[in-house]
Amino acid sequence: MLHLSAPAKAGLLLGLIAALTILLFGGWSSVVIGAILGAAAAHVACYWTPDLGSPRRGAQVGQLAGLTLGLVGVVATVIEAQVLLPAAGEEALSWLQTVVFAGCTLIGAYLTGLGMGSLQGLPEHRQRNNKWVLAGFAVLYPLIDYWAGLGWTATVIQILIFAMLALGLNIVVGYAGLLDLGYAAFFAIGAYTTAFFSSPQLGLQWNFWIVIWIAAAVAALAGVTLGSPTLPLRGDYLAIVTLGFGEIVPIVFRNLTSIRLNEPISAFLGGLFNRPEWVICWVGCEEPFNLTGGEAGINPIGRPSLPLIGSFTSSNYLPWYFLILSLVVMALFAIGRLRQSRIGRAWAAMREDELAASTMGINLVQTKLMAFAMGATFSGFAGAFYASYIRAIFPTVFDFSVSVIILCMVILGGLGNMTGVLLGCFIIMGADRLYLPQLAQVLKKVLQTSILPNIPSPAWQEFISTSIDPIQMRLFLFGLTLVIMMLVRPEGLIPSATRRAELHHGDPNGEVPATEETAISSSGSGSH
Amino acid sequence: MAFFEAIQLTKQFGGLTAVNQIDFAIERGMIASVIGPNGAGKTTFFNMITGVYTPTKGQLMFEGRAITGSPPHLLVRLGIARTFQNIRLFSNLTTLENVLVGQHSRLKAGLWGAFLRPGWVKAEEANAKAKALDLLDFVGLGRQKAEDQAMNLSYGDQRRLEIARALASDPKLLLLDEPTAGMNPQETAELTRLIDRLKRDLKLSILLIEHDMKVVMEISDQVSVMEYGIKIAEGSPAQVQANPRVIEAYLGKPDETESSSLSAEA
Repeated sequence: MLHLSAPAKAGLLLGLIAALTILLFGGWSSVVIGAILGAAAAHVACYWTPDLGSPRRGAQVGQLAGLTLGLVGVVATVIEAQVLLPAAGEEALSWLQTVVFAGCTLIGAYLTGLGMGSLQGLPEHRQRNNKWVLAGFAVLYPLIDYWAGLGWTATVIQILIFAMLALGLNIVVGYAGLLDLGYAAFFAIGAYTTAFFSSPQLGLQWNFWIVIWIAAAVAALAGVTLGSPTLPLRGDYLAIVTLGFGEIVPIVFRNLTSIRLNEPISAFLGGLFNRPEWVICWVGCEEPFNLTGGEAGINPIGRPSLPLIGSFTSSNYLPWYFLILSLVVMALFAIGRLRQSRIGRAWAAMREDELAASTMGINLVQTKLMAFAMGATFSGFAGAFYASYIRAIFPTVFDFSVSVIILCMVILGGLGNMTGVLLGCFIIMGADRLYLPQLAQVLKKVLQTSILPNIPSPAWQEFISTSIDPIQMRLFLFGLTLVIMMLVRPEGLIPSATRRAELHHGDPNGEVPATEETAISSSGSGSH
Repeated sequence: MAFFEAIQLTKQFGGLTAVNQIDFAIERGMIASVIGPNGAGKTTFFNMITGVYTPTKGQLMFEGRAITGSPPHLLVRLGIARTFQNIRLFSNLTTLENVLVGQHSRLKAGLWGAFLRPGWVKAEEANAKAKALDLLDFVGLGRQKAEDQAMNLSYGDQRRLEIARALASDPKLLLLDEPTAGMNPQETAELTRLIDRLKRDLKLSILLIEHDMKVVMEISDQVSVMEYGIKIAEGSPAQVQANPRVIEAYLGKPDETESSSLSAEA
């Protein structure tokens, strides 16, 4: 096995991602990505370096990591500009342009690496500094996006919606240890609640700022309702029941299209004596009442508005971005505090040993329902935002695959660790929404110009052009990642201390000294 | 009225009667031991007292209140805490967190307290932490091990931590299920002293299941002997040691000793 120093390892590892980005996207976006990843590489390198001590030492480690990443970026830039572009049937960049891009990538990565490294070297307030850097980046992101011409804000909003969901599921699965395979049900309930209260479907147009709280409350209530039958169940059995709920809820929303509701006593008597005229009708009397719009869904759903900004529109992503960002920050803050409270300890104890927990005074019923309710609350917020952002909702959006994807984010990033969960979310959603579509485009162009013309048989041409499509392979790639992950690092990318201990008991090689506390506070909860 | 009382307590698992019509009472501030051969129903008895099992018949009274069939977490609130025969710590949590969980029923912070963390919640958490550290000192574990994971503690320390965790709930009655099992003589002697201090310093009433007769005879105020789910003897350590039925239960009948041990081997 190759032994590399921490900075080189971090630089190469994140350099792969940088190279991929550069190869796929090219141009100024690569420079920006290079700079961002340079900082990330420096952060990881400092993390892997024991006793960093001073800013000077941190800067050394950081600049090395940034430089490594920058060099990988330079190679990728040259390949992209001189090989890939012509192969895709576009004009190669001039050597001058190539050198400019490569140089900017290198310098950007070097400088951010240097900066991040010296920041990490500061002996005190390391966690707080990280938090401020992340917060600053999140706030400035739209500006960066605009400068570099990335055009990713819409996608980032989607990613943040899923981040919210993943954080909520992490409460249920990561903290309380209740495997929930039907989490999308609460997302659906939040979204449909929002739709009911602010769309022409029921003729209600309530203010979004009220509706989002109603949606969260209804989702929490649903969490308690759906959670209560599962109380005596554990492990596999619980998973199966939640799987059932996950299937039932979207189907119910699909089918609530023709409702007629009668007053029960009169309906019973009317049926008994065969006198339909006795029956008092409540809802859907003249014609059956359409509550959810079935497959067609509900459309249009009301949007939030603020003084100064006015109503949020689909053309301007900025207000949406900051709204979902503040929701995610709120979730991080609230969940971080919950984790370190009496309730969070009760969840952890219950996950470890239910019997011992109950004989230590923990009310299992209340604690489990609380976990379901809290998990559901955050997906209720996410659902409300989603419904309002997309303006239309359909039952198919909330099917089983969504539950699975959210669960995968939690598992990939690290069960029970919010930083890990966010990372898992960014990786999976980023790959799914940004990299794969772009890869598909580039690949198609390369095939059209460089590969297909060289293949003589038309049958083969047909076969290749239809079968090599990354978008169609997305679930396959996804599954492959999970399989590899479970084999190589079952505790996730950034595991909580507990989870790592569980999976590597008696393993003296405790490589990354991350604890849940540091992880939480570095992810912006402000809990110390 | 007795401090704690079991009246005609019975537990059946299908056709098996694990505990059969036991009458049992202890006074405040007493160390009462329950001894008996393996499978005599001692742990089942404990499980009924702590609400893990619901008795098939009979009644349980604690400080004059009927507690039969109450769930475990309510019994903890009333002041009954326990340890387990096979250690059941929250092994992936730290030592400190284990003891903090033990204080669960004495802390008040709810959902909003956790979110908003007002002054009283902060104070409560700080007090809880200080108390937990004191408890670690008290049981002889030491506060320097507070951040160690429970599973990494030595066996003897895990036993101590279980006691600290139980003490964290401010119990009036503490049930210890074979606390010295698997310990060497020195650890056993230390633990015996600890149990004695629980009684003297904390004024706890203690119910003890124990196989080590030296420990039992040294610290018990009252010894009850169970066999096949029935209480066959009760009294002071000296009385019980002299009781022929007890000797019989442990050693077999004197005149049949040889033949029964031979048939047992066969």
